[in-house]
Order: sequence, then structure tokens, then C-alpha cells
Amino acid sequence: MRRKRKLRFSSVITHLLLLVLVFINIFPLYWMVTFSLKTNDEILGYSYEDPVTGERTQIAPNHVGLPRHWEWDNYVAAMKTGNMGQYFINSLVITVLAIAITLIAGFMATYALTRLVWKGRKAMNKFFMLGLTIPIHAAIVPVYVMLSKLGFLNTYAALIFPYAAFALAMGILISTGFMGDIPYELDEAAFLDGCGVWGIFVRIIAPLMMPAIATVGIYTFLQCWNELLFATVFVSSGKYRTLPVGVQQLFGQYTTRWGPIGAALTIATLPTLVAYAFLSRRIQDSFIAGAVKG
Amino acid sequence: MKKLVALFVAVILALSLCSAFAEGEKTTLTMWCIATESDANRPAYEAAIAAFEAAHPDIKIEWEAFENQSYKTKIKTAMADPSTLPDIFFTWAGAFLGDFVDQGNVYCLDEAYKEFAADLPEVMMGNASYGGSHYGVPLTMNIVVMFANMDLLAQAGYDDVPTTYDELIDCCDALVEADITPFGCAGSETWCVTEYLEPIILKTIGYEELGEIFAGSATWNDEAIATAVDTFQEMITKGYFDPNGISLGNDQVKANFIAGQYAFYQNGSWNCGEVNDAEGNFKVCLFPVMDAEKATYSQVIGGPSDTLAVAASSQNPELAAQAAFELGKEICHYGYLAGSGLPAWTPDYDTSEVKALVADVAAMVAAADGMVLFGDTAMSADPANTYLNFVSKVYGCEIDGAGFITSLASALQ
Amino acid sequence: MKRTLSYKLNIGLFLLPALILFLVILIAPIAMSAYYSFYDFNSIAARDMDYIGLSNYKTLFSRFLVNAENGMQYENDKFMGDALTNSLLLAALSVFIQLPLALLIALKLSKGIPGERVYLSVFFMPVLISTVIIGRLWMNIYDPGEAGILNAGLRAIGLDKRLFPWITARLTSSKLEFTGQWTGFKETALLAAFIPILWQYVGYHMLLMYAGILGVPSELLEAAELDGCSERQVNRYIIVPYIKPILKVCVIFAVTGSLKSFDLIYTLMKDTTKAELPSTLMYKLLFLHNRYGLGSAIAVILIALCFLFALLISMAFRTRGEKVA
Repeated sequence: MRRKRKLRFSSVITHLLLLVLVFINIFPLYWMVTFSLKTNDEILGYSYEDPVTGERTQIAPNHVGLPRHWEWDNYVAAMKTGNMGQYFINSLVITVLAIAITLIAGFMATYALTRLVWKGRKAMNKFFMLGLTIPIHAAIVPVYVMLSKLGFLNTYAALIFPYAAFALAMGILISTGFMGDIPYELDEAAFLDGCGVWGIFVRIIAPLMMPAIATVGIYTFLQCWNELLFATVFVSSGKYRTLPVGVQQLFGQYTTRWGPIGAALTIATLPTLVAYAFLSRRIQDSFIAGAVKG
Repeated sequence: MKKLVALFVAVILALSLCSAFAEGEKTTLTMWCIATESDANRPAYEAAIAAFEAAHPDIKIEWEAFENQSYKTKIKTAMADPSTLPDIFFTWAGAFLGDFVDQGNVYCLDEAYKEFAADLPEVMMGNASYGGSHYGVPLTMNIVVMFANMDLLAQAGYDDVPTTYDELIDCCDALVEADITPFGCAGSETWCVTEYLEPIILKTIGYEELGEIFAGSATWNDEAIATAVDTFQEMITKGYFDPNGISLGNDQVKANFIAGQYAFYQNGSWNCGEVNDAEGNFKVCLFPVMDAEKATYSQVIGGPSDTLAVAASSQNPELAAQAAFELGKEICHYGYLAGSGLPAWTPDYDTSEVKALVADVAAMVAAADGMVLFGDTAMSADPANTYLNFVSKVYGCEIDGAGFITSLASALQ
Repeated sequence: MKRTLSYKLNIGLFLLPALILFLVILIAPIAMSAYYSFYDFNSIAARDMDYIGLSNYKTLFSRFLVNAENGMQYENDKFMGDALTNSLLLAALSVFIQLPLALLIALKLSKGIPGERVYLSVFFMPVLISTVIIGRLWMNIYDPGEAGILNAGLRAIGLDKRLFPWITARLTSSKLEFTGQWTGFKETALLAAFIPILWQYVGYHMLLMYAGILGVPSELLEAAELDGCSERQVNRYIIVPYIKPILKVCVIFAVTGSLKSFDLIYTLMKDTTKAELPSTLMYKLLFLHNRYGLGSAIAVILIALCFLFALLISMAFRTRGEKVA
């Protein structure tokens, strides 16, 4: 009896603390959406003189409340200047393809590094781990020259391959953990059934690596979706511009008008969050499935 | 591997040649600039390009605009492989373009200039000339001016801008007394701090010495500069500057000034159009003289800096050079009328519509008896940024005048 | 089977895609950077290069330099030490504040409390927002003017009147008054940069750990409960050791991420000098100062450091593991 009550009390505390964290997570986004619908006057506060009585009325700034007047014009302004839709699609294409390449190359390399038997695979593994340590911005000039020689500049490929290359090391590190947990007996059984290494990889390993896709995918997504400098330098044509570059450009234009900036921030964030609302369960599930298998 | 790459490049080249023929006789010129949508200069670029394409139906200008900060990275990286440069690119004159010229990546404009010499005085080409040859087409020119909010000055009992240093200090004290912040300065963009510091130094040591210092032929180690820096810091610690400025960007500071939060705002004359069109009663003036033996009121910091250049790697360099001049002239024209700068080109159009503040600045330039280009444009990249690093420390009061001159004198020997 | 598994051609083919990507886009450019770091040159096309040996590294590690002509000592504005300290501080904050917080949440949520999925979704959400957007959003949050929500909040509860003078007097070395310019002072800017990082990534680590905890076999937990272990004991002696591989990945990610972090600071502050990190200093030296040799030297140092830390972290986790076993 006593224990039950204590449990309840502590769980109330837990919930309270978690709710505080939820508030901290949501509040900046809520605030962003509210100021995207306000005018500077409403955010900063203003005063006006009554033309008849000559009385000055002070209007206090509205920091966190809902807008008194919903200023949809901010969204019109933000949409008019940036080609946000196109940028969003570009980011999506580049990110998805980079993830695909990272996964394929990463799984294959991991297979060679963990399942195949050869001298020097430990050294090779360490060599790949070097990639974890390389800051993406360090190599910008040589990579530019390389991409130009390959004729990749100003195409999706200019970003897809570098992003995949920079995500590869983490991909291999994560996959190694997942692949190590697949029992070797399965390989042996498949071998006895007449599978070669490729057969084992495609029929046995790859399907069992599904859970790793979420983990590697999210990590790669983080790198590609956010990246600003490569995206600025390697792509000139507006046709292939990505979201961060587009957003950055928009900020340059409305540096002092809070409304359109908020609108731009919201427009750039909303599609991701909507997609996430639908997919969050699946993302979490694959994360969890992976860990349970392991 | 090499062979493979070569083959690949050959195929790409062949393909692009084919497509060039397929498109017919229309020539395409590519251009990079920083006039992003709703940038103050955007309408000028749009109008200039439309006019150019109308005059040359066989030429198409394909242009891309980039955000200022990232553009600097982009254009510098592109120099590593000149084949990736556009035909025409925006650049800042002085050392910024000079580096590209040194690398042999910029097409010499001497030949093309001949045709336009009548409309474009040679002196305006000076900042983009290296070794006696011209490499850039100037667009507009600008100087540092002090914008004053006359309504706020009136509240402190002043009906005109202060013209001597003592008057300025009295005026600032009166403003502080009346609970008005005299100055706003964007500390998070160090070039904005130089817009305050350079005129103070200029009015202390005169344009000849300052010009030599920026050119590297005279030393920073001059007691007078230390005094000027200390004066600036005294103004800061006396509360003449908005303390929030240290973490604000220039656009915010400018907006605050226009909204009536500061009495003065010292910055480039490209702001004239915006300030002119804002609600309120504004005037332009110059920072007063500190040492009358060495400087005069009408000496100014500034000069033509915004420039178009042509890549040496261009397929049609003559055509691109021609286009750069024609575009430059029109961008200058529309920019002048919009108040985003003074014309580097001699106007051949109706200038009666020019905004009042712009006209005032034009008069200052005409009367100037000495001009020094902005320090960070005049110096080459490394010293310029070392200079900016120390200027940033001055605004944060991390070093004093003596530390500033000894550090700079040693670092920039 | 062993013979099939060690067939050379297959090994090569499996490694090929990763190796090509790796060599062409990472290793070759980095090798170039390492080569450049021994030269002094200001042309990006790598012309007119002077071989200067280790001078670039020496420059980066000298707080003061001496003028060759007059023998005067002056402050070196290319000194890397402060940036390095900052990034190590950032790494320490990440490992000792961010990760424990993430672990705590993950432990709580994995116990199956009502609404855990909602909590999970909300905590993970900031991970999906672009850093550029987060940088800009927090720039607005820190705005020192009327509209900045942080200062407005402090004003609303009257804390600004006590906190700001305290910061001015005790924390900042500058003569200037602190009036809420969080990104304007050296002493507050790094913390101001850490908070958005914490805000964004805590959910990422939390989800990784949460998934790991769900993978702990339930027999183990039941056995522990039968033995009368308290929740704390279960957490300490069963769960944490079990998810060590995931913790290792988290720590490596947090440390190397801190050493390399760039985008957030670059978008949060126009002037990065107030919270300079090796990567922002490298960017400045490469693209503002045009000192390509010096910039490349920072790149090399960063890579060496990240590699060293990754190695140390792996070793630390290994020895710990042996003790527990």
C-alpha cells in the first residue's frame, strides 16, 4: 500500500519534469509561429496619439500571446521572395539519394570488414574511422576542384556524393554494431544451401540490417539536411539550391522585420514537422526494433 | 584513371558544344552578383539587365544572386578552378579584386574602356586598376557620412548638426541628459565599427597619413592614432553608444536609427535612399575635425568599391567586357536614382529626381579636399582582417589606443 | 566456407564503392590540406607557395608573436588556443550535461510511463529542424532589444535587475555594461551557443539510448527485480553497462561534433570572434585572411584531435567494460 502511493507521487514528479521539458521543446517553435503572424509594432509595442483628444495611448509589446491581428501578409512576403517549394524538393532529393548511397556503400563495406576474412581488415576499419574526424569545411577547396574535374558542379551530384562520403564513416561505425549482432550460424546455413558471399549478403544480411537503416539514415539526414557551406559553394544555379541556402538568403532580406522572418522560418520547418508527425512512429519503431534484435 | 577523367571531360565538352549549337545564335553570358531579391540594389540590376537584353536581342544574361557573406566564400573558391567562373562577376574593388587579378583570373578591360571613357572618368577606375591596367567596372561610389535625426536633436535643444568636436560632445551630453542615445553602432559586424573609427582617425591625422598607413607605407605607430582610439572609447564608456549595439547587426541598428532610437548613425552613403524615404527629419553631415592642423572638415572616407569584373576564362571575353560596362552604367544610373549610392559614371540622364540626402552627399563629395578608401577595402585580405580583429577589440574595450597602435604596427609591419 | 569468405576479388568489390567515395572526396583533399599546411601562400589556386616547414603550426600555438624588425612582442590574432579551449569546453558541456540529461530521460521513458510515445516524439522533434533555422530562431530569442524573448522573460520576473549588474561586475572583463547582449560578450557567447545545441541534440541521444534500453533482455531485468534491486541499482548495474556500445557512439558523436561544430555558430552570430571555435577560425583564415596554409594547418590539427579523442573514448569504454565483466 505504502509503496504504491510513493510510486504515484514520484511518477507525478516525473511527469511534471517531463512536461517542463516538453514545454522547453515546444515553446521556441510556438513563439516562432506567433511572431510570424505579428507586425513589428505588435512585437515591439508602440504608442499613438488620439487625433481628437490628443491623448497618448501606450500599447504594450505582445511577446508571447497570440497575435491580436493575424498578419498573413508576412507569409505572402516570405513566399514571394524565396522559391521555398523548389528548394525543399531539392533538399529532399539530395538527402534521400545521399542516404541511399551511404547505406549501400556502408553496408557493403561493413560486410567486408566484419564477415569476410582477410588480413588488414582491422587497419582498414581504423582507416574508415578517420572519416569521423574530418571536419566537412576543412576540405572545401580541394573538394571543389575535384568536383569540377568530375563535371559534377551545379548538379545534384555536387552535393550527393560529398554528403555521402562524409556520412560514410558514421554509417560504417553504426552498421558494424548491428551486423556484429547477426548470428554467424545464419551465414553458415546459407552457405550450406549453396549461397556465395553475394548471396549471403543480399539474402541474409541485408534484410536483417533493415533496423540499421533508420539509425544510419537519421544520422545522414542530419548532416545533409543542415549543411550550408557546401551547398552554397558547390551549387550556383537556383535550380539546385537547397533549403538552408534559401533560408539563409531570405534572412539577408528581412533582417529587421520579424514577421516575414518568422514566416520564412515556419515555412521552412513546417513540411518537415508534418512529415514527422506521420512518420515519427515508424522512425521510432525501427530504432527500437534494431535495438531489440541486438 | 587520368585517361578516364580526360575521356569524361571530353564527352562533357562535346555534349555542351552540341547543345550550344542546337540553341542557335543566341549567346549566353553568365553573371554572379549579390543583388538578391528585395536587396536595395535588386531593382537596379533588373532594370539594367532588361535594358541590356532589349538593346542586344542576340545576348541573354543568365544571372544568379547570392547572399553577401556566402558569396565571398563562393567567389574565392571558384578562383581555385577558373573554368567554373561566370563571365561577369560582382566584386569589391581594392585588394579583394586585386587578389583575383594577381591570380591571373580577371580579364583586362583597358581595350573595352576606351569606348566608355567619355562617360566614366578615369579617376573612378582607380580602385580597380592594378599595375596601370583597368580590371573592374565601378558601379556606384560611397563615402562615410553621419546621419542625424533632427527631431531628436531638437529635443536636446539643437536645431542644427554640430560642426566642431566640442559642439558634438556638448550635443551628446545634452542628448544623454534628455535620455536619448546619441549613437548606434553594430558591434557584430566589425566593418560598422570602422565606419566610426576611421573618420575619427581621419579627422585626427589627415587623409595623407591615413592613406599611407592603409597602403602600408607608413606605420600605425602614431601617438595621434592612439589618442583618436582613446577618444572613441571614451565616447563609448560615457554612454554615447547604445550598449545593445555590441551584439546587433547593421540592419537592426539602422532600423533602430530610422525608428528614432538614436540621434546619429554613422555609416555608408548607400543608406541615403532608405533614410531619405523614412518618416522623420534627417540630415547628413561629416564627423567634425579633431586636429585642425592636420585635417579639414571636408576630408572623407570612401570611394568607388562596388565593381563588375570579367573572368579571364570567359568564352567571349570581349563581349562580356562590353556587357560589363553597359550593365555597370545602367546599374549606376538606377542605383543613383534609388539613393543606394553616388554615381561613378557621369550622369547623362535627368537628375532632378535625385533624393535630397543623396544630393547633399554629392555636394560633399564634390567639395572633398581629400579622400581615403575604406580601410578594409584598401588593405589586402590578411592585414585587412587582422586590422578588423583589433578594431573589434577596440569596440569591446578589450584594448586601448596604445595597445591598438603597437599591436597593429607589429602585426602589419 | 572460409575460402569463399577470403576470396580477394569479392573483398575488393565489397569495399569498392566506399573506398572510391572515401579516397576521392575525403582522403585526397585532406592529403592536399596536410601538404598545404607546410606552405605559406595566399592564392587559392595554390601558386607562389613558400615552404615554411612547421611555421604555420607554430603560429597557431603562439599567443604572442615577435616582430622580426623591432623585436616587439604583440598579440597574435591567429592564436588558436582560445578557440581550442572553447571547443573542449563545448565538448565537456555536451558529454557532462547533454548526455546525462538524455540518459535520464531515456531511462524514465523506457519504464513504460503513460504517453511515452508523445514524449519521445516531442523530444526528438528539434533534431529534424535545420541548423540554419535553429541558429536564426535563437538569434531572435537572444535579441537584446525589446522583442528578444529571453530578456523579455527576465524583465517580466524582474530578474534582469539583479542578474545583469552581477554579470557586468563579476563575469565580464569588459568595461561595457551587460544589458542582455548574450552573444556580444566572450563570457556569455559560448554558453549562448551551447544552449541551442543542447536543445537540438538532446533528443537524438535520448532516442538512441532509449532504443538501446528497450533492447535489454527482459529476463535480466526480471531477475534483478526478484533479487530486490532498486530502480537505481537496475539502472546502474544492468542497463547502463548493457547499452555501453550505444553510449560510446553517443560520446564520440558529441565530442567530435563539438570539435567540428560550425553551422550553428556561423548562423547564430555574425561575428564569431566572441565564441571562436577551431572550425570558425579555420573558415576565417581560409576565406577572409586568404591564409590557406594556416587554415589547412587547423584542418590537420582538428582531424588529429578528433581522431585522438575517438581513440581515447574507445579505449576508455573498453577498460570500463572489462572491469564490469
